[in-house]
Amino acid sequence: MASFATACRATARLAARRLQQDASARSFRTSAIALAAQNFSMPALSPTMTEGNIASWKVKEGEKFQAGDVLLEIETDKATMDVEAQEDGILMKITQGDGSKGVQVGSRIAVVAEEGDDISSLEIPEEKSEQPRKAAEAPQTQTPETTTPKAAPPTSSAPKAPVKPGHKTSNRTYPLYPSVAHLLKVNGLDTSVAKDITPTGPNGRLLKGDVLAYLGKIGSSAPADVSSRFEKASHLDLSNIKVAAPKPAPAGKAAKPAAAAPSPPPAKSTITLPISLTAVTEAQLKIKETLDVFVPLSTFVARASELANDGLPLPKDYKPSADELFDEILGLSAAKKSSKGHYVPQIGASIGAYSRPTQKRTEDVYDILCGTSKPQIARPITQTPATPAGPNLFSLNVPQGEQKRAQIFLERVRLVLENEPGRLVL
Amino acid sequence: MLSQRLLGRVAVRSAFKPSGVSSVVPASRWARTYASESEARDLVIIGGGVAGYVAAIKAGQEGMKVTCIEKRGTLGGTCLNVGCIPSKSLLNNSHLYHQILHDTKHRGIEVGDVKLNLAQLMKAKDTSVTGLTKGVEFLLKKNGVEYIKGTGSFQDEHTVKVELNDGGETSVTGKNILIATGSEVTPFPGLTIDEQTVISSTGAIALEKVPEKMIVIGGGIIGLEMASVWSRLGAQVTVVEYLDQIGGPGMDTEIAKSIQKILKKQGIIFKTGTKVVSGEKISSNEVKVEVDSAKGGKPETLDADVVLVAIGRRPYTGGLGLENIGLELDDRGRVIIDSEYRTKIPHIRCVGDVTFGPMLAHKAEEEAVAVVEYIKKGYGHVNYGCIPAVMYTFPEVAWVGQSEQDLKKAGIPYRVGTFPFSANSRAKTNLDTDGMVKMLADPETDRILGIHIIGPNAGEMIAEGTLALEYGASSEDIARTCHAHPTLAEAFKEAAMATHGKAIHY
Repeated sequence: MASFATACRATARLAARRLQQDASARSFRTSAIALAAQNFSMPALSPTMTEGNIASWKVKEGEKFQAGDVLLEIETDKATMDVEAQEDGILMKITQGDGSKGVQVGSRIAVVAEEGDDISSLEIPEEKSEQPRKAAEAPQTQTPETTTPKAAPPTSSAPKAPVKPGHKTSNRTYPLYPSVAHLLKVNGLDTSVAKDITPTGPNGRLLKGDVLAYLGKIGSSAPADVSSRFEKASHLDLSNIKVAAPKPAPAGKAAKPAAAAPSPPPAKSTITLPISLTAVTEAQLKIKETLDVFVPLSTFVARASELANDGLPLPKDYKPSADELFDEILGLSAAKKSSKGHYVPQIGASIGAYSRPTQKRTEDVYDILCGTSKPQIARPITQTPATPAGPNLFSLNVPQGEQKRAQIFLERVRLVLENEPGRLVL
Repeated sequence: MLSQRLLGRVAVRSAFKPSGVSSVVPASRWARTYASESEARDLVIIGGGVAGYVAAIKAGQEGMKVTCIEKRGTLGGTCLNVGCIPSKSLLNNSHLYHQILHDTKHRGIEVGDVKLNLAQLMKAKDTSVTGLTKGVEFLLKKNGVEYIKGTGSFQDEHTVKVELNDGGETSVTGKNILIATGSEVTPFPGLTIDEQTVISSTGAIALEKVPEKMIVIGGGIIGLEMASVWSRLGAQVTVVEYLDQIGGPGMDTEIAKSIQKILKKQGIIFKTGTKVVSGEKISSNEVKVEVDSAKGGKPETLDADVVLVAIGRRPYTGGLGLENIGLELDDRGRVIIDSEYRTKIPHIRCVGDVTFGPMLAHKAEEEAVAVVEYIKKGYGHVNYGCIPAVMYTFPEVAWVGQSEQDLKKAGIPYRVGTFPFSANSRAKTNLDTDGMVKMLADPETDRILGIHIIGPNAGEMIAEGTLALEYGASSEDIARTCHAHPTLAEAFKEAAMATHGKAIHY
């Protein structure tokens, strides 16, 4: 799954890169001859990928390919992935053949031409390394072409030190180290020169040693040498592991990979419960007779809900607050088993002062005239036989995981409304 | 009317609660249970020590379903329960006691009758430990980690059987399993640890009375810290070390010599280059230890009422059932892993003391985060060349990077810069002038190779050095960074100045 996502990302990235190259190339394209072939560089198949191995080329030198064709297969430490062509073209030359190991991202692996170009007449462009800063990190694995640290001027230490062409460094967004800025200024260089110096520090940072080497004050390879030592020390030494003599052990049982069940999408579900309001109506009448006070049905329901909301079991995905958790660990309070709910039941059938007998709704003449007459809504069938004040469907729309909690709530509402509704208001 | 109603409602409410709840809701609905056994967890962690609990929290934060199995009954492992934390409590408080007894008078503070209440000292330690382990438990809960108290062992590649501490048994299935079982004290052959007379570091933080004479076998960090505690509280402590230097092989030799001198002044007796030939427990408060020069020829018998075995720790995989899944250990009992902490069964990974690398809590912690990132994101990183080490004696010793003897041995050229605290204004005002900062840098590029500090709070000061090393800084970078005055940190800056040029105040 993850690899699929990265593959998608990689394709998108490749497309973008090719587009860029194309855009610049197109402007020259008045005639086919003017168009030089393009370098095809090692793509980064994941954000963290720095190098990879080329498993095999699926297209041979000189062969044409079309957009979507698999050009080659790249092995990273995680997976083997296909690299697809983003547009039609011809594979002019493969510079890193099958089985090349530790190819740096951004270094050239092939040269491609556009369809219709005459390969024999095309010039092979110069390799331009996009990743000079990676050189220091893994110099031994790289092609000599890209590893050669920039030749430092062996001559005078004068700041007219030449800038080695072809070495680009990325734009730095962090401030220069104090020693670096100082050294540049002291040597009469502008800090903008920093971008021309090959960095050897962690994550491509420019170090004092890099500037010294640039100025020719120390050996040109000194910074890279130090960096490679650091690189080595940054990993656990897992070489020369001596496996302990195996003890006679029972044969390991066959693995049984647990298949991950596809998780259902989180959905809301509706819980319903028929509740008879007969007792409520009776209580209502009684109160009306004795106290001459009319209590609307909604009051009964609201009070019943309030009671039922008290101390409901926790929903499955309940997240206790930090205080609750800490109190619980310190033993100040037992694990919270219940909480107050905030449910408001939806009542299916009409709710009014006096329940109406269920009857077929007659269509309105207006609706007929306007042509907006609605089809009769089918009422859910309830198990209990219909009485004049027949049971109403109380329903709750709750998220997944709270069904149990909602069910209990409704059962409580029913308990109160059907048994002793009078006590709710008196 | 209104009040009547309210009263009525209150009555209803109270009447409702006891009867209503039980009648409406079957009791089983209230019960919270562990996740059902059949449900595979995203990550099952065996061990709730620093590696295990950090991985659990990190994985919880990453949205994984995590189970952490710990048999101790409290989280935090050796570090929180019987290691770093309790020992620091004792070191801090014994230092206070020692200072009041011997040091405050010439500072102008005369304290009358100073008495040691060892029981209270231990209680203060236990309070710290309890608070912290509960804090970890809280963090696990907060991040939705299921915590099972019990002993985990592999049943097969995906199933961990847990014998619960409260009795009974359960099993957990995991898509990924992390071994983080840590380490245990390496015993000394011939001396059975009873934690009363022959003690390990665990016993050394829980002695009921201050021993009169104590022998510490092993002059490494644990040995020296415990030696400091009991020496300050009044014991006569002898440290026997096989190597020629104390502090373990990682400590810079110059620094080791220097701290040995300081600790000797504090009253600890050192026998370096000396091997323990045999030991014998005579009675519950008498042990005899036969020692000899490491090269032989100078046998001697030492006696004490307590002997501390502090010769190191070894990976702990006992009862883990590795044989059930065919996992191998190396010749030193470490679980074999690759650079992404995978064992040869790729979904079973391993971090912390039980595998390679230095046995340090902060290293385990870094690995724990990295391993979860490997599982979740496919990439994680720990810079093993940049892990600080601290010894919490007084003064403290801290270092990061390479030592002078390492560089010499590897034939790597270097430049040294040092600055003594006796030339630092704050140290002088504090009347704590023992120690120094020593920096090693590449002679050409000036990139820092190693930093070694003896001094008060060296453990805090090393953080700056670690940062510098992580960023590939040169000594000049540190020297050109402003440090507040008057602080001990100025000595750090001056040492950097001395490395590539000259210190101002020395």
